[in-house]
Amino acid sequence: MNLTINGTSHTVNLPDDMPLLWVLRDGLNITGVKYGCGIAQCGACTVHIDGVAVRSCQVALADVWGEITTIEGLGAPDALHAVQTAWIEHQVAQCGYCQSGQIMQAADLLARNPEPTDADVDAAMSGNLCRCGTYPRIRAAVHAAASAMKEA
Amino acid sequence: MTSSIRIAVIAAACFGLASLTFAEGEHALDLSALPEAGSIAPAEGLAAWDSIHAVLSHPRCLNCHVGDDNVPLWGTVAAPDRIHGMAINAGASRIGAEGLSCNACHQTSTRPNTVPHAPPHTGMDWRLAPVAFQWTDRTSAEICAQLRDPDRNGGRDAAGLIDHILHDAELIGFITWSFDPGAGRDPAPGNMQAHLEDMAIWTAAGMPCPEP
Repeated sequence: MNLTINGTSHTVNLPDDMPLLWVLRDGLNITGVKYGCGIAQCGACTVHIDGVAVRSCQVALADVWGEITTIEGLGAPDALHAVQTAWIEHQVAQCGYCQSGQIMQAADLLARNPEPTDADVDAAMSGNLCRCGTYPRIRAAVHAAASAMKEA
Repeated sequence: MTSSIRIAVIAAACFGLASLTFAEGEHALDLSALPEAGSIAPAEGLAAWDSIHAVLSHPRCLNCHVGDDNVPLWGTVAAPDRIHGMAINAGASRIGAEGLSCNACHQTSTRPNTVPHAPPHTGMDWRLAPVAFQWTDRTSAEICAQLRDPDRNGGRDAAGLIDHILHDAELIGFITWSFDPGAGRDPAPGNMQAHLEDMAIWTAAGMPCPEP
């Protein structure tokens, strides 16, 4: 099975029903994506497939339908995505475990809705849990990223 | 195969081909004994409607046939009004396109649903049914009137309603899944074959509805 991940082609020889999360972390050592619950209740494993945020724990390897982007491929260290920049500016992360999933979901939201309201942010991010309770900073950073993307 | 069985199978196949124009595609349903239009008395049609309504009014189906608040349900037989966790709202798009897409969690896959508490998936893209197909807070008579009205059933006539079931069976879609939702979920009552036969009987009887 061939996968394109962060612009690079990978050939994997793993079971068809292995969740993409396991393929990424255990099969390919792409560990920015996190395991939280394994049943799409927490959002920590969020990646993009063809630009759309999905919980990688729910996608069987053989069901992958497009190009995968993980937090490692959303931006580069010297060219961060606007959401990543805003995350740093607002010091959003506390323990940090859920944050790659939060950032991937926020990037999806801003692609759909460039000027989200607080309610829009809360609705779109409601499936991404943060046990440290960084939600106010997440919301502020999403608005900051939206402003930055609008100016760009 | 004995000659008598072979003749019976051929006869059944011929009857099926002769009486049905919508029996296309691959599915495991038996179409050989479905009735023809006008061959069913209204009382038998009403009885079939009651069986159809038992399916449509089950939480497994109601959970996505919700009104214009666009909030899916996590209803069970014991608690039918429980709303979807995570404050999910599918939006006017009914697929969550405005913010959090249904398919962020609900994948499109024909794999069996084997993991308890994981988001279920079917062979069709996850979505709420159109608002016009709302079944929550509706009586049996209201849902019946809705289902036979092409303006409120997706433009389907009798054959279209049957084809809707067959198409779902080909894709292993929502109707098919509702009878075998897996992973500890309450299934809709009956099975796909019985639902198909009830729909064929009800439509062959002229789609009779109970009194409001």
